[in-house]
Amino acid sequence: MNRKNILTLVMLVTLSACASTPVQPWEKGVLANPDMAPESSPLTSSLDDHIYFSKEGTSGGRGFAGGGCGCN
Amino acid sequence: MASPCEVLIDTFDETLAKQLTSIAAEEAWRIENKFSRYNNSNIIHHIHTAQGEPVEVDDEFCELLNFADQCYKLSDGLFDITSGILREIWKFDGSSNIPSRKQAKAYLKRIGWDEVRWQAPFLTLPKGMEIDLGGFGKEYAVDSAAKNVADQSSAAFLINFGGDIYANKPPKEQDSWRIGLEKNDALGKANSILELASGAVATSGDTRRYLEKSGIRFPHVLNPKTAWPVMRAPSSVTVVADNCTSAGFLATMAMLKGKHADEFLAAQNVRYSLQT
Amino acid sequence: MKNFKNLSVALAGATACLSGVANVSAAETLDKNDFGNWDIKSAILFYNESDRVQAIEPVITATKQIDTDEFLSFKLVVDSLTGASASGAVPSTEAQTFSTPSGNDSYTTPANETPLDPTFFDTRYALSASWVKPISRFTKLTLGSNFSNEFDYLSLSSSALLAHDINNRNTTLSIGVSAAFDTIDTVGGIPVAFGRQLPEGQEQPRQGEEDDKAVIDVVLGVTQVLSKDSLLVFNYSFSQADGYLTDPYKVISVVDAASAKPIETLYENRPDNRTKHAVYTQYKRNFSGNILDASYRYSTDDFGIDSNTVDLRFKYRLNEQSFLKPHIRFYSQSEADFYTPFFVDGSQPLANNSSSFATADYRLGEFTSTTIGLEYGRDNVRRPWSVALEYYVQSGDEPDNTFGQLANQELYPDVDAVMLRINFDY
Repeated sequence: MNRKNILTLVMLVTLSACASTPVQPWEKGVLANPDMAPESSPLTSSLDDHIYFSKEGTSGGRGFAGGGCGCN
Repeated sequence: MASPCEVLIDTFDETLAKQLTSIAAEEAWRIENKFSRYNNSNIIHHIHTAQGEPVEVDDEFCELLNFADQCYKLSDGLFDITSGILREIWKFDGSSNIPSRKQAKAYLKRIGWDEVRWQAPFLTLPKGMEIDLGGFGKEYAVDSAAKNVADQSSAAFLINFGGDIYANKPPKEQDSWRIGLEKNDALGKANSILELASGAVATSGDTRRYLEKSGIRFPHVLNPKTAWPVMRAPSSVTVVADNCTSAGFLATMAMLKGKHADEFLAAQNVRYSLQT
Repeated sequence: MKNFKNLSVALAGATACLSGVANVSAAETLDKNDFGNWDIKSAILFYNESDRVQAIEPVITATKQIDTDEFLSFKLVVDSLTGASASGAVPSTEAQTFSTPSGNDSYTTPANETPLDPTFFDTRYALSASWVKPISRFTKLTLGSNFSNEFDYLSLSSSALLAHDINNRNTTLSIGVSAAFDTIDTVGGIPVAFGRQLPEGQEQPRQGEEDDKAVIDVVLGVTQVLSKDSLLVFNYSFSQADGYLTDPYKVISVVDAASAKPIETLYENRPDNRTKHAVYTQYKRNFSGNILDASYRYSTDDFGIDSNTVDLRFKYRLNEQSFLKPHIRFYSQSEADFYTPFFVDGSQPLANNSSSFATADYRLGEFTSTTIGLEYGRDNVRRPWSVALEYYVQSGDEPDNTFGQLANQELYPDVDAVMLRINFDY
């Protein structure tokens, strides 16, 4: 996938987001559940990210790819 | 009550949540209708139009008047349900309409719980006087609604009627409810968090309601003995207590103590927060 | 100083007469202004590769709410590794002897086995802190710093992330920058690019004690609420690493052009800069209490590694207080442009030729990996906990340019691992 395709994906995602009707504050009971946070189990994510960082050629994406360890 | 009310319930059961919310709401409306002085068919209206004749009141009203009587005694006359009539001369609308000392003095004759003849279940109010349960009505509504909700479910809940709050127990996964205390000058930004496992919170003081003349600010808290605002009162006082009615009474008392509010609260062995 | 009476007893008596007042329970008497306690969460991961690395990684975080939407948190990670790791050398029909990274010792790999460096052990300590602070009603700033140390590696980083809510708080825009500075203090010193590994006791080809690298990351993100039970995250991230990116412990075998038997072992060399671009999208949806969490990541970099990652989790609620969460993850990557499983004698760069690049590190080769796991947990209780068991397998295709004895060897053996993770909140 080249740079242009990335841009297309950005636009697609943005468009699909705009198409939905806005959610009102009082309708956010379900979204307010901590389980619905994008990063709902940060400890699990950080342990997973560390394993994959040391085993695979790619890191980051969700947050900072960073460095921090001599394992790769 | 003219303020936003909410009920938070810790449950996955939507039907139950709706049921409990309507129980709380019904109780709030019931108390509002029964004790509001703006209702032309309730017991308050009946008392105010009795022209000095005794009026028989029901059990709930008896309890509230007994409580008001206790409050009057505990506060050495500072907490007085007959002082509501002062709203006729003190309109805290941010203007500079300050009544004269003479005008205020004239009202003192129409204030004083000791002038009222209270012999349960009969209340005899002298002509020209009024009673106003606004001093603890909202807090009492919180407690009463909480009792009705607790009778129906064992779920953790928090009732908030315009800043007067009662919680029966903490939500399941937490140690306590977190209550943001509003900062006076900011745009609704809470500036501190109060952790409440169970019990009640009440706040007295409203910084949007005051009068100002010649650079002097007259706060919205009136001394029934002078018919004059308590100068140098804190701008708001928040108190935590076992029930909302007690918390509200202590918060109001602290306001009435003016510059001694902090010392008064410190002696009460309660959690509190005070803004000057 | 006036002395005020304590009215509590009298007041309790007065309110006790009110039948409408619920004296259900007493408010705990705490210090005034005692707002916010430390929220402690912990986890421990046991990682076990068959015949290779074992790791135990405990982690603990402490978070304190210091104001509405303002949090301070600290995290401590200890990462303890033991076992053996593939050195990059190829197997042979004869036993092979390699020097350890220090050059003071050696180890022997039996015939027909993948050479594994058995000196792979390390303990890493990492401490990080973050501070989330609202800077206006709709804008939140997160500042973070991280310190990580192991006996041959030190990393320092700081980051700043700004998140801004718009559109009735249905859209969050974020921008983050992170800068990391790492120092590698290799055991025995930094090897010379394509320097020949010498037998133990001899002076290995070295070019200094330590080296360093700097990594700058930029993340641009949009989180969009799609409906009252779903949301979408979209991130673009850019990462630029400059400095020493070579793995000083990895080597490449040079094999005889006829028999394909290894004749010497060279230290690898990678470019000294790497630019990565990645897009990440995540979709979360709540189906009446059960939560789907699906994400996809595409990453490309100028090493030539393109990767695709799909991650699916589903939190299935068994009852109000317990859940099962199956997890499946697929990952595939293409190989780095300079990946080579071995050199045929005559094609290897000269020692010290730092403008040539090559690695035989299987992690930069082409492979796919799959993770499947299941987590069981209790939540909505005072002390939530969960246990997860996961199986991870990595498999790459055998290179097609093998010959001689290598044609019968397994150059890209599958790597599989079992992970057990326990989370516990205090």
